[in-house]
Amino acid sequence: MEKVLNEYLEKMEKYLRPVAVSERVDIIKEIKSEMQELQSNDIPAEQIIERLGNPKDLAKAYLGDLLSKESRFSWNRFLIVCAFYSLVGFSGMVVIPCLAIIAPTFIVCGVISPILTAVKMIDYLFTLGIPYVENIGIFLGGTVTFNPIIEFVISLVVGALLCWVGRGAWKLLALYCKKISKTASNLSI
Amino acid sequence: MNIDDWKSQIKRGTLEFCILLMIRQQPSYGYEIISTLEKYPIIAAKENTIYPLLRRLLKEGYISSSWQESTEGLPPRKYYSITDKGQEYIAAMSVEWENLLGVINKMKGE
Repeated sequence: MEKVLNEYLEKMEKYLRPVAVSERVDIIKEIKSEMQELQSNDIPAEQIIERLGNPKDLAKAYLGDLLSKESRFSWNRFLIVCAFYSLVGFSGMVVIPCLAIIAPTFIVCGVISPILTAVKMIDYLFTLGIPYVENIGIFLGGTVTFNPIIEFVISLVVGALLCWVGRGAWKLLALYCKKISKTASNLSI
Repeated sequence: MNIDDWKSQIKRGTLEFCILLMIRQQPSYGYEIISTLEKYPIIAAKENTIYPLLRRLLKEGYISSSWQESTEGLPPRKYYSITDKGQEYIAAMSVEWENLLGVINKMKGE
């Protein structure tokens, strides 16, 4: 057999590695048989290769049936799975707790702060004298003090901002989880 | 009008039937099957279709195979022959095929 044909078979054998040895040998033997048959019909090696197509594609055609039926163990797959879980494990240790804490706390704070400043504002407007109300408000180290009405407006804006960030964090968390489960199913673990 | 697309669908659906019929007529080897199919463009298929298909039919037990030494100068060939299960499969397929042709003829109003 000519060198190019042998090389073709070697390449095929390489791509057929997921197939059991006995079957692989049989596949190669069958293709080799056809090559020899064509050669005995005086067909040049180049034409034989052209006829058979890319060795990778031919090997893949055999694998196509096989892969869908049984997924074999391979080190490559094992490493991919390891890498995936390491990445998910480490990122999950940081990402999930952070987002899970940020999302509800920001929303709760965003709701509570305007309510509290509203209480202070009502107390100021109607001079009700509610105890401890002086502890509520926006404090900038005592240099500037705000009118309770302005404080209420500011806290409304800040509250909305906090809620928005909290909701964003929640969405991000959901997206993160979805992405991971999708990747996991793609790897068919 | 995309007749080629339709033709390739027909091919996909009937190739298995044709190959089994061919093997039933006489035990054949891969290259022989492919070169026979080449004579009929409607059903012609390349190595990367036929060999995996033969392997699947083999695994499903419709055909059996055996390596046979051929005459001098020629390589050993892997001959495929039909099994009892394959005969049953062909019979069942033939019923459906006749059924389909009957329906088509009726639709044509013949």
